[in-house]
This record gives sequence, structure tokens and C-alpha cells, in this order.
Amino acid sequence: MHKQNKFTVSHAPFWHDGSSIKCMNLNIMAAALPAVLFGIFQFGMPALGVICLSISTAMAWEALFNFISKRPITLNDYNAGVIGMLLGMMFPATIPWWAVIIGTFVAVVVGQQVFGGIGGNPFSPAVIGATILMVSWHTFFDFDATLLSYDFNFTALAPLAALKHQGVSATGLFNLSDLVIGKEVGAIGAVSGIGIILGGIYLILRGFIRWEISVSYIAGILVTAGLFNMVDPGKYAEPMFHLFTGYTLLGAFFLATDSSSSPVHTIPMFIYGAMGGLMTILIRNIGAYPDGTFFAILLINLINPLIDNIRPKALGKGVNNA
Amino acid sequence: MAQSIVKEFTKGLWAEVPPFRLVLGLCPVLAVTKSVENGIGMGIATTFVLVCSNFLVSLLRDIIPAKVRIACFIVIIATFVTVVELMMQAYTYPLFLKLGIFIPLIVVNCIVLGRAEAFASKNPPHMAIADGLGMGIGFTLSLGALGAVRECLGDGTILGNPVFGPDFQPFTFMVEAPGAFVCLGLLLCLMNLIGKK
Amino acid sequence: MREMISMVVVLTVLSAFSGGMLAAVKTGTNDKIENQVLKFQKAPAIKLILSDVSNDPLQDRFKIMDQEEEVTFFVGKYDGTPKAITFETKGKGFGGDIGLMVGVNIESDEIIGVAVTTHSETPGLGSRAKDDPKFVSQFAGKTMDKNLGIKKSGGEIDAMSGATITSVGVCLAAQKAQELYTRLKPEIEKQTAQMAN
Repeated sequence: MHKQNKFTVSHAPFWHDGSSIKCMNLNIMAAALPAVLFGIFQFGMPALGVICLSISTAMAWEALFNFISKRPITLNDYNAGVIGMLLGMMFPATIPWWAVIIGTFVAVVVGQQVFGGIGGNPFSPAVIGATILMVSWHTFFDFDATLLSYDFNFTALAPLAALKHQGVSATGLFNLSDLVIGKEVGAIGAVSGIGIILGGIYLILRGFIRWEISVSYIAGILVTAGLFNMVDPGKYAEPMFHLFTGYTLLGAFFLATDSSSSPVHTIPMFIYGAMGGLMTILIRNIGAYPDGTFFAILLINLINPLIDNIRPKALGKGVNNA
Repeated sequence: MAQSIVKEFTKGLWAEVPPFRLVLGLCPVLAVTKSVENGIGMGIATTFVLVCSNFLVSLLRDIIPAKVRIACFIVIIATFVTVVELMMQAYTYPLFLKLGIFIPLIVVNCIVLGRAEAFASKNPPHMAIADGLGMGIGFTLSLGALGAVRECLGDGTILGNPVFGPDFQPFTFMVEAPGAFVCLGLLLCLMNLIGKK
Repeated sequence: MREMISMVVVLTVLSAFSGGMLAAVKTGTNDKIENQVLKFQKAPAIKLILSDVSNDPLQDRFKIMDQEEEVTFFVGKYDGTPKAITFETKGKGFGGDIGLMVGVNIESDEIIGVAVTTHSETPGLGSRAKDDPKFVSQFAGKTMDKNLGIKKSGGEIDAMSGATITSVGVCLAAQKAQELYTRLKPEIEKQTAQMAN
């Protein structure tokens, strides 16, 4: 065992806003509630089941890992709860129970705990969990197939999948106001645009997430999609369609803003967010997957340590003849 | 004397097992372990090259001038690798198809060159063979183990036989490239956990 | 000076030795390898396409040079007269080249059928091109002037859902086959006419 030095501080980002991690996480969960409630309202009891299972197993995995690695139980900072909740929001309501359990294991243990727990994770844990599930069991994230048993009173097609397979004419099937309210086929917590925006604005006002990241992410989406749309409106969908479908808003407000895997300086935050929006649209328009939000966020998580080096020089530092 | 041969042989099986302890030769470890069969096939091919090149390098260790020793080692290794490649093409063609480019890449596998440089060029032939054999078998077993975990979870089969029954939905992530990294990391962690006690 | 000479001599002798050894192994395994390639890669696909021929297409084959590339054609005879040929083309897929065996009826210029020979696509997604006949059966009966692209880009083929890139790759190979066949038609007719006797 190496000697514990009391005054060593880690390299993780630090925000000073006077509140505790516990308080921050509780607020994030509260902010996510409107979107979750809308999802439960829309998809019924199975959605509630997925969210509950996701939160509880995420906490169980963290407790188990803490126990095995003989470290203090960190459940009461609610971090695992937040990961579980975000993960649950990214699932379709019909996902099998065992997939949820594997997802939370990957997110909490492989995504965060093996890197040393809260503050040490290089990626947003919830995104890791969801991505690995999506890569493994493609069909569970094929919303057209998984939500077949539902009888919706709106276009029962996953917007982004429809765009990918049927071309841009399919966007005519969707009413923008429906998409904003959340009358669309998708993941539990990702359908309600209004709910996510409300939660996101609350978090920004309270200072738990940084507006720079969310705003630049959305700007990245709009600008990139706008450019594509301008070049060939017959081939690429409009920016607003991209903004309110798939995981875009969830990514902008809840996933990209994960505290330990996003930058802390102003300029890097803008680059980080804009890159995320850019990559999301590139993957959607050019790549093979219908939605690129997960991969885009993992990519910007990866470049985060690098771009976070762009910061103002300390006064007098690096000047030879001062 | 006999004891030290045993020692050189067994060190490759646990104490210095190449991919997990020396963390060497990761290219084939990550790339071909989609199934047990591929892993063991690759391991056997590498073992053959390792034993032959170790033996020849050790035989010629007094003749090879120090300044061109790496060039000589590479010539020797490349020869045996090409022999293995041709042999696999002629006799185990389906396996050759699966391993593909990774057979010729044995040439640049650090384990082979590493053992030639670090061991075979300083020790007599019988020791070099024992060392090569031990390292090769350790490598084969590691690839087999990694392949077993990945094939079992990723495809639901071991050596092509289903192990979980028809309802199992394969964890495809495990047979993809990132799954190899995660799996290797977890196995390394497990090895360290066991080794600590 | 002596060191120089020894360096040159050792390297030369080693290289010569390895060259000789490889040449010997190569000549020893050459025929065997060619048979293996035919047996494992081409034969299953050819059998799938030309299911009711009266000859062995693997035996009745000829080669034509096409723009510095040699293409092997396998002839299928019905009641003793050669009526169909198959040959292989390649298209770019998700995980590398996809080899596609294309069978063409030389009397009506219709595609009899296609089958995937080699691929490295994702198991369960792109690999369906080989395992699930639903996708490749769409090519059967198409003539040379049809657009064999996927529907999204104006062609006549339905892409496999979740495996668009693989579908495009297979279509690309089929389109290449169309070009190749049209280009080499006279030569093919000459060769098959000889086979008739």
C-alpha cells in the first residue's frame, strides 16, 4: 500500500458552488423527472419498471463493488442513482430486465468504479452502458420493432430510423410540435423535448451544469444539420428535426455535461459541445447508425483532457526575460 | 541442469505468461481471440515459430555478429513464419482464412523477437527450446482463455457448441474490438488479484 | 575489416538458407494450396449457384486476363453443353472486402444467382448476406442492364435492415460482375465453345 498523503488533490475538475455532490445529484434527478414522468405516462407501467430496475441495480452494483474492493460504501452521494436514472431514460420501455442489469453493471462498474469511482471516469458512465448495450443487442434499440405492441395516436415510426431507411421524405410524417411535446416513438426519457429542456434549464440556472456545453452542443447540431440541409435539402433533414428526435436533447443537457468527463474552461467547453453536435449530425447523415449521439459523446469525452489544456496562461508564466 | 530446464519451461506458464504478465504481443491477443479455435490456432502457430527460431538463434549465437543480430533474428523468424503460413494454407485452410493477416504478423510479434534477443542469444539450445516451448504454451493458453470468455459471452458457444441454450441472446460487444480490450483488462485484473494472495 | 566480412557472410548465408528453404516449402505446398482455396472458398458458393449441373465446375475452369487481373471462370454444363459460368468479384463491405460468386446464364445473359464466398462482416448483422439466402436471392433473374444498387440509391435491391454497408458492398460486387461480364463476353463465348466438345 502506498502512503496516504493528506494534502494530495486529484486532477478531477472542481466546481465551487457551495453545494455537495449529494445535493447536485438529487437536483439532477429532480430535473430529469419531468421527462421521465412523461415517458411513463406515454409508455405505461413497463417504463416505470425499467426506470426503477435501472436505478436500483445501479446502486446495487456500486454497493457490491465497494464491498468487494473494500472501500467505503459511497451510495449516499446518489451518484449511482443518477447513472441508473439516466441509463433508464435511454432505454425503450420494452427492454428485457436482464439487459437493464447488464447495462447498469457496465455503466457503474466498468464505466466508473474501475476508474476509481466518482470523478475518475473518463467517459460518461451512462453513455458507456447504453452504447455497449446498443452495440451488442441492436434490436432492443430498434424502436420500431420493440414498441410494436403499443397503439399510439401519432406516427408510430422511430423518426431517425425512418429518416435513415426511407430518406428525407419520411420527415413529412412527423409534426414538429408533436416531436417537441414528445409524441414520438423513442426511449423512455428521450421523447419529451419539453421535459428535458425544462430540466436542463433548471440545472443551468442552479449552476449544476454549464450552459456553455449545452448551448454549444445544440448550436453544433443546428449549424451542422443546417449546412447539410442547405447543400441538399432532398437528402438531409432539417436542423429542427434533428434537434427534437433521438437522444439529441438528452445528450445536450444530461449526458455531455457529466461533471468528470467534460472540460472546465470556457473555450474548451464551447469546443467540446460544438464537436459533440457536429459528430452527432455527421454520424446520423453519413454513418451507418440512425442516431449518433452516444458515439459523439464518447468521442468528445475522449478529447476532453486534450482540449481542456486550452486555457489562459498564468501571468508571467513562460516568459523568459520577465 | 534438468531442474533449470523445468524452471525455464514453467516460467512461461504463469510467472511470465506473455500477454498477461509481460503484456507483450497484444496485437494477436486482441485481434484473433474472437473464438477459442482461432486463439489456440494462433497460439500453436506462434509456439512453432518461437521454438524453431529460439533453437536456431541459440545454435548460431556465437556465429552471428552483434551488430547485425537483429537483422539475422528477423530473417530467421520471417522464414519460419512463412513456413507456418504456407503449411496452414495447405493443411488447415479454414483456420488460415479466419486468422488471415495475423499469421504473417507473427514476424513482428514482440514475444518472438523478445525471446530471441533476451534469452536464446545468451543460452544453449536445449534451454532455448524449453523457454520457447514454455512461452509458446503460456501464450496459447492465454489466447485460449481470452477466446473462451469472448466466444462464450459474445456468441454463446464454446468451440462452436452452444452452451446457453437457444434463448441466449449473444453479448455481441464481446466479439467486437472494444470488447477485446475490456475483456483483457478484466482478465489482467483477475490475474493480479489471484497473484497477490 | 574482419568484422565487416563476417557480417556480410553470415547475413548472406542466412538469407540464402532461408530463401532455399522457403522455395522448397512453396513448391511442396503449391498444388495443395490451390486445391484448398477452390475447395473451401469457391466450391460451396459455386454449388449453391449451379445446383443441377451435369459436370464438375471446379474441373471445367478457364482463366482470362482482364486489365492485368486474372479472372477464373467456372463453367456449368447442362446435358453436356456449357450454359452457365460463374466467377468471383469483390466489393467493399463494413469489415473489408466481400467476395461474391456470380453465376450468369450465357444464353440469356441473366444472373442465375449469387453467393458470398469470403467476408469479414459483423456476425449476426452483415454476415446474414452469407447465411440468410433472402438477401442474395434478389439478384437472381436480373439481366445485365438492370441497376443492381440498393433502392435508396435508385437500384432494385432491398438492403438488409441494420446492414446497409454490407448490402452496398454486395451490390457493388454484383455491379462489377455486370461490367466484367459485358466486357469479356466475346472471350467467354470463345472459351466455352471449346468446352462444348
